[in-house]
Amino acid sequence: MNIAVLSCIHGNLEALEAVLREIDRQPVDQLYCLGDLVGYGPYPNEVVARIHELDIPTCQGCWDEDIVDGLNACDCSYPSLLAETRGRLAHEWTNREVSPETRTYLASLPLTLRQDTLCFVHGSPHSQHEYLLPDTSAFIALERVLATGADTLFCGHTHVPYVRNLENSRLTLKVASPSTHPSTHSATPLPSLKRIINAGSVGEPRHGRPNATYVIYNTDTQQAELREVEYDYTKTCAAILEKGLPAIFAWRLSKGLEYAEKTDDPTHVCER
Amino acid sequence: MITVVAGPCGAGKTTWILQELAQVSTPAVYVTPGVGTVPIDATRVAVRFPQVEIFHRQPETELLRRLAGGVPAYFEVGFQLEMDIPLLEARPHRRIALVADENREASWQLWADKVIHGNQSTLDLQSAQLWRAPLSGQVFDPPSLDIFWQELIQGAYGEVHRAKGIFELADGQAFHLDFVNSLPGSAYTELNLPRWVQGRPNRFSGIEVVGQGLDEGAIAATLKDCYLSDSLLAAHQATLRDSLSLEAS
Repeated sequence: MNIAVLSCIHGNLEALEAVLREIDRQPVDQLYCLGDLVGYGPYPNEVVARIHELDIPTCQGCWDEDIVDGLNACDCSYPSLLAETRGRLAHEWTNREVSPETRTYLASLPLTLRQDTLCFVHGSPHSQHEYLLPDTSAFIALERVLATGADTLFCGHTHVPYVRNLENSRLTLKVASPSTHPSTHSATPLPSLKRIINAGSVGEPRHGRPNATYVIYNTDTQQAELREVEYDYTKTCAAILEKGLPAIFAWRLSKGLEYAEKTDDPTHVCER
Repeated sequence: MITVVAGPCGAGKTTWILQELAQVSTPAVYVTPGVGTVPIDATRVAVRFPQVEIFHRQPETELLRRLAGGVPAYFEVGFQLEMDIPLLEARPHRRIALVADENREASWQLWADKVIHGNQSTLDLQSAQLWRAPLSGQVFDPPSLDIFWQELIQGAYGEVHRAKGIFELADGQAFHLDFVNSLPGSAYTELNLPRWVQGRPNRFSGIEVVGQGLDEGAIAATLKDCYLSDSLLAAHQATLRDSLSLEAS
């Protein structure tokens, strides 16, 4: 069975349609979406309507949550004053723009989805706002996968696609006590390979090109294919300007730099 | 000896003068006319060579007095200025032009006593824009400044041929940032100045951008979004003072 996993559309309808057209041409049996349907981009309602219409199982992203519950982020979201200012502008614009139907749909989204040994989240099982970067410590990465009970964890949020195999996994616990008792050890080898597969971003790529990315995963062979799709990003850039969003978002999208800089600190653990 | 240094935008005039000054053991004078309230190069020279007397806004009489005394003097003539300096008409001086092979027009050969290889410039003088802003008193959030600078030099606010600036950072240090579009990357140089750990710095900082189709309003607005507020600055400086006193103890 082939599943397609997309994430982080961010109101970029042009990119979403291009990815959906590409998926139509592939032998894909099931789609999953990892959230962040809205934020930064010019078409939040249209993107939500399309995902809803296609009935794609979707989990809630950090931007989706912020639109429902209001801004409440830790340093995960804003590594600089400039990024924070831009993020707030985008949040306020999106908050004004979204329809009640969009808000209701975003509020209804679950935080995780499951299919057999696969788990789907936006950021991490810990929080939609937490980044599982390719170089996040192996301990934290493994703990996040184990917390779901799944073998493969699909996530987005970083906007950079990757596959990380947590091979030869062994979780070691050491309990030390100040008393005279000797410390105890427990080492548990894990029975199966654990993996994290990041789907990148459909609408706000961060890989230096404006192309959308998503993943096709074969549940039988366990092969993951990171796919990159060209689309007419200039239409999204024009819509950004037309709708009164900051012009810098259009420039950054055209360069594949994301609309605003995100954290790249692999040691940061979300405090939200 | 009076030396007048000219060349296209970003040719390396200040760098050449700094190399010359490094070999001068006597007091010297550096003159940079036409920079108004944004003396970036003059500040760079003053920090590197505190014994060099800087003239960019002082009365001409003072400068004439120094020249009459025979002090070695370096005049840096910005690309946008007339290369003939009336003040020097009756004074013997040598003329140095820093020009890349690609930019060696006959006028440079005619004007200069010596033409030295400089960085290439592709600036179209007819449509060139020069934008300057003093930033004294403003302290920058470093990651924000880095984002702004990368956007600036990659063309987010128009085509940039040359950008330079002196910026105060949250950790109390001042940095010189330097970009020439014919050279790879930007140079980030920490200025040898004491850390500013209390209140807003009252020493010079500022930015100069040369290019075409520059969105000056957007540049200024983005810079403002990188400034530390009073409360953030006070918090940074309190932490900084604590860590410096710990180091000292």
